[in-house]
Amino acid sequence: MLGRRGAAVPAVREPVSHALRATGVGKKIDEAVLLLPTDVELGAAECVVLRGPNGSGKTTLLRILAGTMSPSQGEATLDGSLVDERHDSTRTTIAALIGAPATYRDLTLVDHLVLIDSTWGHVGKPAADRADQILELLEIDHLSQRFPHELSSGQQQLFHLSMVLVRPSSILILDEPEQRLDPDKRDLLTAILLDRKDDGSGLLIACHDPAMTAALADSVVDIRSE
Amino acid sequence: MTVADKQRLRQVRSAILGNRPDTSVSNALYPVYVAVIAAASYGVPAAQQLFRSLDGKWLAAHAWTPVGAIVTLSFTAALLALVPLVGRVHGPVVPPLPYLELVVDSPMPRKVTLARNWQLSFGGSIVGGLLVGAVGGAGLAIAKVAAPVVLMPATVCGALIGVLVAELWLQGQVHSTPLALQPDSSLARGRRNALALLDITGLKRQAASNATIGGAVLAGDLRTARLDAARPPTHARQVHLRPSGPLLVIARRDLLGLRRAPWSALYGLGLAAAGSAGLMLSLQSPRTPTLAPLVAMIVAYLGFGALCEGLRLHADNSGTSRLLGLAYRDTALAHLVVPVSAWAVSAAVVSLPLYMTGLLRPSAMVWALGAGALLAGAHLMASFRGLPPAGVFGPRAGVPAMIFWYSKPLLATLVLGTATAAWGARSATPWVAFSWLLIAAAGIIQWGLKLVDKRDRRS
Repeated sequence: MLGRRGAAVPAVREPVSHALRATGVGKKIDEAVLLLPTDVELGAAECVVLRGPNGSGKTTLLRILAGTMSPSQGEATLDGSLVDERHDSTRTTIAALIGAPATYRDLTLVDHLVLIDSTWGHVGKPAADRADQILELLEIDHLSQRFPHELSSGQQQLFHLSMVLVRPSSILILDEPEQRLDPDKRDLLTAILLDRKDDGSGLLIACHDPAMTAALADSVVDIRSE
Repeated sequence: MTVADKQRLRQVRSAILGNRPDTSVSNALYPVYVAVIAAASYGVPAAQQLFRSLDGKWLAAHAWTPVGAIVTLSFTAALLALVPLVGRVHGPVVPPLPYLELVVDSPMPRKVTLARNWQLSFGGSIVGGLLVGAVGGAGLAIAKVAAPVVLMPATVCGALIGVLVAELWLQGQVHSTPLALQPDSSLARGRRNALALLDITGLKRQAASNATIGGAVLAGDLRTARLDAARPPTHARQVHLRPSGPLLVIARRDLLGLRRAPWSALYGLGLAAAGSAGLMLSLQSPRTPTLAPLVAMIVAYLGFGALCEGLRLHADNSGTSRLLGLAYRDTALAHLVVPVSAWAVSAAVVSLPLYMTGLLRPSAMVWALGAGALLAGAHLMASFRGLPPAGVFGPRAGVPAMIFWYSKPLLATLVLGTATAAWGARSATPWVAFSWLLIAAAGIIQWGLKLVDKRDRRS
C-alpha cells in the first residue's frame, strides 16, 4: 500500500484542461524504425503509462509528444494543434523530463529551483518558499546547498524531478522517473504524482515498475517493437 | 636513481615493450625535428612580419630602453605566473593510465617510475623555449628592430625561460594533489622530492582528463575540453540566488556564478580594466603605435570572456529539456547584462584617475562603451559557435582551417577594434571612426544572434 507522504506543492497556476493526442504516430530514420505507429490520448487528471521492452520506442514517443521531435508518420497534437516545443503555449502546458536536464555547475540545488521558478514569473519570497517546499517534498531538503556534482545518482534523479515539478505545467511527461530510486523513494514519487493527478494534471509516463504503474495508471499503452 | 632502480625500470620497460623494438628515443626526437623545421620555415618569416607590421621603427626606438625592459620582464613574469595554474589542470608528468595502474601504483619509488615522463617534459620545455627565443631573435634581427647579435642572447634567454616553465609547471602539478602537501605527511618536501609527492589519484585524474581534453581538441570540441579543465565550484554555497523577475534573475545567476568563482571574476575585472585603459589611452595621440590598441583589445577580449561564463553555460545547455520560462534568445541576451555592466564599470573606474591626471579626454569613455558592444557581440559568437563544420576536418583543410574557424570571434574583435581605434586616434573627426565602430559592433551582435537562433532551432 502506498502511503501519501508530504503535502502537495502549492499550485502556482490553476490546471487548465488540455488534451494531448498521438494518432498513428511513428518514427523512422532511413531504414531504422524507432517507433511503430502508435495511438495515445491523454486528458486532464488522467495518467497514461507506456510499457514496452527496451528499444520499443517509448522515449521516442515521449519526445514526439513533448514536441521536441517530429514524427515521420501520423500526428501529435496538443489541443488540436501540432505539438511543438518552440511554441510558448506548449512549454507552458507541458513539463518533460526525458533524459537528464542540463544543470549549471555553479548553482546549488535550491538556486536551480529559484532560477526556474523566477523565469516563469514567480518573484519574491513565494519562489524561494516553493523551492524549499519542493526539496522538502522529495526529502532532499538537506541537500539544498549542494552543487549538482556533489550528489549520488539517486539524489541526482530526485533533483532532476524537482526541477520539473517546480515549473508550472498542466501535463507532466516523465521518462522512467523511477530509475535509480530506492523502493521508499519510489513510493514517495508515486504519492507526489498521485497528488498532481488529483490536482488536475495529466501524466504521461514511461515506466518499468509494476507497483507504480498499478498505483498511477488510468490506462496502459503497450508499445510494440518490430 | 640507484643502479638497482635503473635495473628494475629496464625490466618494466622490457615487459611493456615485449618483442617490439624500443623506439622511445626516436619518438621523442621526431617532434623536435618537426618543431625545428616549422620554426625555421614558418616561425621566422611570421615573426619578422609581425615585428614589421607592429611599427618596427617605434619598437626599435623603445624596446631597448629601461621602460621597454620593464614591460618585457613584466609580461614574461605574468606569463610565468600562469604556468603553475596550467600544471594544476595538466602537469608535465602524466603517463598513460595503464602505466599508472600497473607500474606507478607498484612499490617502486615514484621518483624512478615517473622520471622518464618528467625528463621528456623538461627537455621539451627547454627545446620549446630555445626555439621561441631563436625565432623571436631572428624576427627582431630581420625586421631590423635589433642587431643580428640579438639572436644569441634571445636563444639563451628562451632556453632559461624553458627551464623555469618546466619547474613551475611541475610545482603546479604537485600543488594540485590534496595529499602532497599535507602538513603531517612523512614525505620529504622540496624540489628534489617533487615526483615522489605526486599521488596516484591526482595522476589518474590528470591522465583521464588528458584523454578527454586530447580527444575533445582533436574533435574540435572546445566545450568538452573547457568543462573538463574547469574545477567544480565549491565556494559560497550559503549564498542563495534571490528570486526576481525572469530577466533579472538570469543576471543575478551570473553574478552568483562569479561570486562562486572569485578568481575568474578578479581576473576578468582586472583584464577588463587594463584592456579598457589601454584602449582609451591609445586614442589620445596620433603617434600611438597600432600595437597599443591591438594588445589592449586582446587583453579586453580575455577579460570580457572571463565574465561570460553564464553565457557559455547557457550555450552548453542547448539541446536538453527546457526548464526555464524564457525564450532562448532572450536568455542569451540576459546573460550579457553582467559582463557588459562589469566592463562599463571597470572602464569608468579606471578612466577616472586617468582623466583627473589629464591623460584622458572624457570622450574616451564613450569609445570604451562602444568597444564593450563589440566585445559582447564577439562573445555571443564565441559561445554559440558550436562545433566546427565537417569540412574543417578534411585532408585539404587541416589545423590552420580549424584554428581560423575557432578564432573568428577573436579576429573580428581585433581587426575591427584595432582598426577603428587607430583610425580614431589619427583622424581629425574621430566620431566618424566611432560611428564605424558602432556599426561594426551592431553587425557582430547580429552575427552572434544568428548563431543563437541557429542553435535554438537545432536544439
